[in-house]
Amino acid sequence: MRDVAIVSFATSGALPAVEDTETQMLFPVISEAIERSGIPRADIGFTCSGSADYLAGTPFAFVGNLEAVGAWPPISESHVDMDGAWALYEAWVRLQHGDVDVALAFSSGISSRSDLREVLCLQNDPYYLMPLWADHGSLAGLQARAAADAGLIPEADTTVATPPSSDGAAAVIMVAGDRAREVCERPAWIRGIEHRSDPHYLGVRDLTDVASARLAAEAAGVGDAPVEVAELSAAHPHEEVLLRRALGLGDEVEVHTGADPLMVSGLVHIGEAFRQINEHGRQRTVGHASSGACLQQNLVCVLEGDA
Amino acid sequence: MSDDTDGPVRFMPQLIGLDYTIRTNPVAAAFGAALAEGHITGHRCPSCQRVYAPPKGYCPICCVATGADDLVEVADRGLITSWTVLTPIQYAGQKEREDYALASILLDGADGTIGQQRLTDVPLDEIRMGLRVEAVWAPPDERVGDDRGYGLGTAVSGWRPTGEPDAPPSAYQDHTL
Repeated sequence: MRDVAIVSFATSGALPAVEDTETQMLFPVISEAIERSGIPRADIGFTCSGSADYLAGTPFAFVGNLEAVGAWPPISESHVDMDGAWALYEAWVRLQHGDVDVALAFSSGISSRSDLREVLCLQNDPYYLMPLWADHGSLAGLQARAAADAGLIPEADTTVATPPSSDGAAAVIMVAGDRAREVCERPAWIRGIEHRSDPHYLGVRDLTDVASARLAAEAAGVGDAPVEVAELSAAHPHEEVLLRRALGLGDEVEVHTGADPLMVSGLVHIGEAFRQINEHGRQRTVGHASSGACLQQNLVCVLEGDA
Repeated sequence: MSDDTDGPVRFMPQLIGLDYTIRTNPVAAAFGAALAEGHITGHRCPSCQRVYAPPKGYCPICCVATGADDLVEVADRGLITSWTVLTPIQYAGQKEREDYALASILLDGADGTIGQQRLTDVPLDEIRMGLRVEAVWAPPDERVGDDRGYGLGTAVSGWRPTGEPDAPPSAYQDHTL
């Protein structure tokens, strides 16, 4: 595998309800990530974004968002209808091809324009769960119930609150090889990055075991060496408990959680895992992203600083 | 579908509606306020000098932010760069009855076209690239800007020929739409 490092990260943070368009919201965030990297915009060889037009209700918003990138003359780019962490994964794969050295991954989410309890129902299967309008908060409650019945969480944690989601954007610059050290004093090397998915239909899953997170963590090598900080996309206390188990994180591991803004939080967690190395002198951190109902899809990214 | 209610369910209607509340972004709001006063405004990129009307709040080519300091007014007249004649299919709710034309218009003072503008007072077979047109403004109380910042909302009800000579091809050769 080709050595690839994160050298720059920027985020808008969680915004209560933006008036700006998604592109306007992204514009300063992408520019900040590029400027922090010190790399000319024209040197970016591949760009990948993650967002969901269902959230903002603007068809093909992901195409318009390229105006925040600088896409003329034409650039090589792609999009995933997922959290930006998966965009980062695709960009990392693209860097493995060897002909491109710098990649930009970014994501945006505007959830304040709609009711997520309605919109997220559409990610369920269309035959059994969608017609029930089984919202993500209710499904999270089922998983909390299962975790409590298995003795994994206290009864008090089975009450699941789903506050309105916020809006936001994030961007990450990745560089392959020695150039990462040239542009960044302390880059965070991607030593393992994998993603797995549990079955779509909740009825065939053991909700107390997040198998996809466990498999992704094993494949990414989380347990190969001690982890100092783990950034987890957990929206509720029971999700943190289940993810700690799945990733094999002991009580000594410092864990930061949060799943907001939707579509952005996974990339933000990877960005924060980068900052732990880049700014706070940590040596080995983990960034995690999750998507779908009841932690259905999981991505795990292991980062290490230079010894 | 069968009327047999005892048999297995084979079909089921599933109507889905999602409601969105979109706040008008500040750049579009300022553009809409000017439209209501009868002015078409844009932002001039301080780097490349291109004028975007409606304004975006940034130049997507130079990747620089634009704002009130970059505000310019463009003319409510320009030339046709491209057009389509539409034949309305008479589905339920269709309000159009006759063939009509929508055009892309390059306004004087702007560097990008405004799309899907209704043409009036011109025979459909006389529409052409370079045809000079001017705005037919809606009454002031009917000028509602487009919330998403694209197009002119309902402020301009159509565009009619000015009677000026056609613009030469050099005036629109850089615009495919």
